[in-house]
Amino acid sequence: MTDVASLRPLLAVAAAALAIPLILASHRRPDLRDGWSVLAAVVQFVVVASMLPEVLAGDEFRWSAGAYAPGVEFALQADALGMLFAALASLLWVFTAFYGIGYMRGLEETNQTRFFAAFAGSLASAVGIAFAANLVTLFVFYELLSVSTYPLVAHDQTDEARAAGRKYLLYTFFGGGVLVLGGTVLVYSLAGTTSFGATTAGLTTADPALAKAAFAMLAAGFGVKAALMPAHSWLPDAMVAPTPVSGLLHAVAVVKAGVFGIARLVLDVYEPGLVEDLGVGLPLAAVAAFTLLAASVIALRQDRLKRRLAYSTISQLSYIVLGLALLDPTAITGGLLHIPAHAFMKLTLFFCAGIIHVETHTDHISEMDGIGKRMPLTMVAFAIAAAGMAGIPLVAGFVSKWFLLIGALEADKAIFAVALLVSGVLNIAYFWPIVYGAFFESPDEADEKPLVEGTLGGHVGPRPIQPIRPASAGDGESALGGAFASSSSGSRDEPAPLEDGEYAVDRHPSDHGAAERAGEEQSAAEGDHRDAGDEDGHSEGDVADDGANEHDDHDHEIHHGGPGPGGWQVRAWNGDESTWLMLGPILAAVAGAVVLGIVPYEAQFLELVEVVVEEVTA
Amino acid sequence: MTDATLAPVLLIVLPIVGAAAVLVAGLRWSRAGWPIAAVTLAGEAGLAVWLADAVFGSEGRLVHELGAYGRPGPEGFAVGIELVADQLSAVVVALVALVALTALAATRRAGPRGTPFYAAYLLLVAGLMGVGLTGDVFNLFVFLEITGIATYTLVAADRRAPAAVASLKYLIVGTTGASLYLLGVGYLFLATGTLNMADLAATLAGEPSFVDGPMYTDPLVLASFAFVATGLFVKAAIFPLHTWQPGAYSEAPDGATVLIAALVSSIGAYAFLRLAVTVYTPAFFEATPIVATVVVTMASVSVVAGSALAVMQSRVKRLFAYSSVSQFGLIVAAVGIAVHPDSGTSAAEMALIGAVVHLVGHAVVKGGLFAAAMGLSLDAGARRIEDLAGLGRESPVLGGAMAVLGLTLVGVPPAIGFLGKWYIALGAIEAGIWPVAAVILASTVLTLAYVARVLEQLYFRAAAPTHPEDIDLGGHSDLPGGTAVSADGGTADSTAEQRTGDGAPIGVIAVAVVAAVVAVALGFGGAEFADALDPFLTEVLGQ
Repeated sequence: MTDVASLRPLLAVAAAALAIPLILASHRRPDLRDGWSVLAAVVQFVVVASMLPEVLAGDEFRWSAGAYAPGVEFALQADALGMLFAALASLLWVFTAFYGIGYMRGLEETNQTRFFAAFAGSLASAVGIAFAANLVTLFVFYELLSVSTYPLVAHDQTDEARAAGRKYLLYTFFGGGVLVLGGTVLVYSLAGTTSFGATTAGLTTADPALAKAAFAMLAAGFGVKAALMPAHSWLPDAMVAPTPVSGLLHAVAVVKAGVFGIARLVLDVYEPGLVEDLGVGLPLAAVAAFTLLAASVIALRQDRLKRRLAYSTISQLSYIVLGLALLDPTAITGGLLHIPAHAFMKLTLFFCAGIIHVETHTDHISEMDGIGKRMPLTMVAFAIAAAGMAGIPLVAGFVSKWFLLIGALEADKAIFAVALLVSGVLNIAYFWPIVYGAFFESPDEADEKPLVEGTLGGHVGPRPIQPIRPASAGDGESALGGAFASSSSGSRDEPAPLEDGEYAVDRHPSDHGAAERAGEEQSAAEGDHRDAGDEDGHSEGDVADDGANEHDDHDHEIHHGGPGPGGWQVRAWNGDESTWLMLGPILAAVAGAVVLGIVPYEAQFLELVEVVVEEVTA
Repeated sequence: MTDATLAPVLLIVLPIVGAAAVLVAGLRWSRAGWPIAAVTLAGEAGLAVWLADAVFGSEGRLVHELGAYGRPGPEGFAVGIELVADQLSAVVVALVALVALTALAATRRAGPRGTPFYAAYLLLVAGLMGVGLTGDVFNLFVFLEITGIATYTLVAADRRAPAAVASLKYLIVGTTGASLYLLGVGYLFLATGTLNMADLAATLAGEPSFVDGPMYTDPLVLASFAFVATGLFVKAAIFPLHTWQPGAYSEAPDGATVLIAALVSSIGAYAFLRLAVTVYTPAFFEATPIVATVVVTMASVSVVAGSALAVMQSRVKRLFAYSSVSQFGLIVAAVGIAVHPDSGTSAAEMALIGAVVHLVGHAVVKGGLFAAAMGLSLDAGARRIEDLAGLGRESPVLGGAMAVLGLTLVGVPPAIGFLGKWYIALGAIEAGIWPVAAVILASTVLTLAYVARVLEQLYFRAAAPTHPEDIDLGGHSDLPGGTAVSADGGTADSTAEQRTGDGAPIGVIAVAVVAAVVAVALGFGGAEFADALDPFLTEVLGQ
């Protein structure tokens, strides 16, 4: 194992960072601008991938800018753990770059330049986090990630988006600027350094109370981004962001930066032995186990697809944290492998949610019955990824969950294995209805959805008959889910009426854009209906602005998502359902999930994980 | 002229001569003010670089005895006034010279113009230089008063009624503060018989033969510290002694605010740092531990209260003004940690570096923020926070500069704000003063609370279709110290003045952008700061 001085870790960060000015400068030429975005993604991935063989052989690439402050070096270092995160983020950015172009153009979103620039900034920061060689460098990029993601969350510039942005800033800066910085300073004052791998000696001899405090501050600080309960509620709210953001950042780069921070903390700053001695692993594991169960239960009652996926993310991230906190080599392997496994699967799911939104304006699960006809390929990909989430073999989720279960048993903590199994059942419970509804039901003859629609999630109490009216779900959930989710319940399930009574989607009716781009005409019937719905939306929106006519607002909400009056159109299985700019990335991501499930070693990720675990346990 | 000990004298004399030249030339040419000031300040910058080169290079600490009276007598006490340039002074002098020169660019076309303005501007620089360089506590008072009087003039420079009220308030509060400081100096003189800083430190430590042992617990000395600290807290605008500051900052002409906000309070904080560390020395605080506790408590309260008040403001300049209350709380807290009896040498060293870094960083950032605010008000008449809506798109350069500087203030790395906070937090944690450490860390979120309001308006809200007249009416209407918004008659002429140009002149934009770039670049200079200050730290902390 040797350290190689190399510019490549810096280059990987710079590839994305340099794209920002280029993207901003070419704001008048959308094609060139989006080209920079794709080019940066590809270059970043190539640079990262070029380091893979040596890192697998145990070498490390290192680049240092010299002392940042006395005793603190500003240095980047590509080791196996860093490579795991960097390779994942940069690979999936390539998919997302294409998908994002299709999505943003499909919806004719405003402020696309800012969007792509902030996206590149986020990826630069994420790879910086991956390659940071010490806690201070990691903190630098961690804060930059918070800053560069904020414009993406607040992108829509609606009241809801601004509120979500504010919440996001508050949570992440409290986690980063207060807790992580505090923990970093404490580690520095205890150990005299913050370089990964060099701090353990100092921390072992330090006052255990202070060492525990530093661990707690760092774990809590990273835990905010990893959406550990009770600091999770920014994540469902951040789903107001455009779907590529939800997909790559709020399922992969940002939230996994938090998880990655915990991995660095457990594996490199403290090392499992010391974590065990201090006795801080078990509380962390308990928090993770609670989060993964509670989030799964909350997910059952979410009617907005993206919110359900968000709670699923919260739950799945805790698998990783649980694996790390169990401190058993097999469990750590499972936890780390779950980073890429979950990333591929959740990216697929979010891409599916996004493409459904672009093509049909449908955001609610209760409106998706029979959608398998309209979007066959999308829903197949969705079904495969959902199966992986639940841990069904041949998809990525199974492999990592297998390691996690074995690890939990090896560590003599069977209770956590039970939690994992229960969560797997809950996964099926909240994903299967979507898949079943999409393929085996039709809008007219859908089963009741008592969990989502009934008060208290069951057949108790009054409940509305109309299956596609989501309004009552919000009321019901505030009774049950309110205990877990602290955000305002009003906006959770029903499409919140916005400042001007419109969705961004309404202002930029996507079907026109998509149809024109693809050079094909929508069928006359559907197009007419959609137009009518949109015009309706404008006039109704003005009424709703006065706050006088809630009911009209709801009536029109029914019209503009979900199937038309004649049910879903039937589209062929040849990609007719949307543009390949979006379908391609979906199929690539789901293929990745399957490859990772069938041949995890050949996919390199498991091999990387084993290098990490070997180093830690050596 | 190769003797570098001349530099401190020239640094103080040159702007005074320049001010006189402005006045004389103004009799003949009404527009001579700016060129003369520019030449003078360029000279100042050159002198500051020369001084810094000498101090950080071969010479080390420089002492210039005015009048060359020397140090006769058995104890070797100074008779005349000494100007002393050590590493800390050199940093402050360079900061003053460069910021004053840069800020002048903002006044080139945007005003305020006129002979008296530039004369006062140069006098202010002379006062700031004097405070930075003097080695005599009474002389420090004189320069503080020069600084103060020049600032009162600048605040009222555009002759608007609210500005005159703000200036009067500043005059009363500021002079009271200076008087308190003078009282403290008087006590100190009674106790020790000297006014020279180095001699004072030696006498308080009990070194001369005529005192019996250390005098740290002498009631006169304790009382003197109380007066001196209170007086300087007024100058540095520490809560609750800050009341002059928001009015003065927000009512002063925009061009003057850039300079005042960047340097005037900073020099008060510097004076406190200088006296606490080199005159009273950590030994004084060790003898009476409660003093340091009081200092850090006041500073912590200032951090929290300043941020809370900033969040409540509706006008851009007042928001940034209250932000200064909070930031100077951080600096004073750092000084308090440095002299706290609980801190070891390493903690004290970290805290002092943090204080200096944050002092420099805050000056750059706040000057840039006020320049950006000035530019946005020239561009779009934006004076209230809500007027900023959509300006990130309308004025991308100024909006971007304001965003970068705002995030620097929050402490987002790698910019300078983070560096200062890192050192101060490190000092607090190593010293084990946990409540203060918590406040310092929490200040990130507190600062974010008001910076995020600005960012959100700039970038995530479309411009409201309001008449520009309405905006300006709201802009100037409230009186200093009050939060009530009421229309008054004093807005018409200023509105006309600001509406003359079409958009922000290049000078204003340049100041904001330069400040943003420097703020980020300085963030990478942590090691250089520590190296530069090392001799000073070694001397005062005695390693």
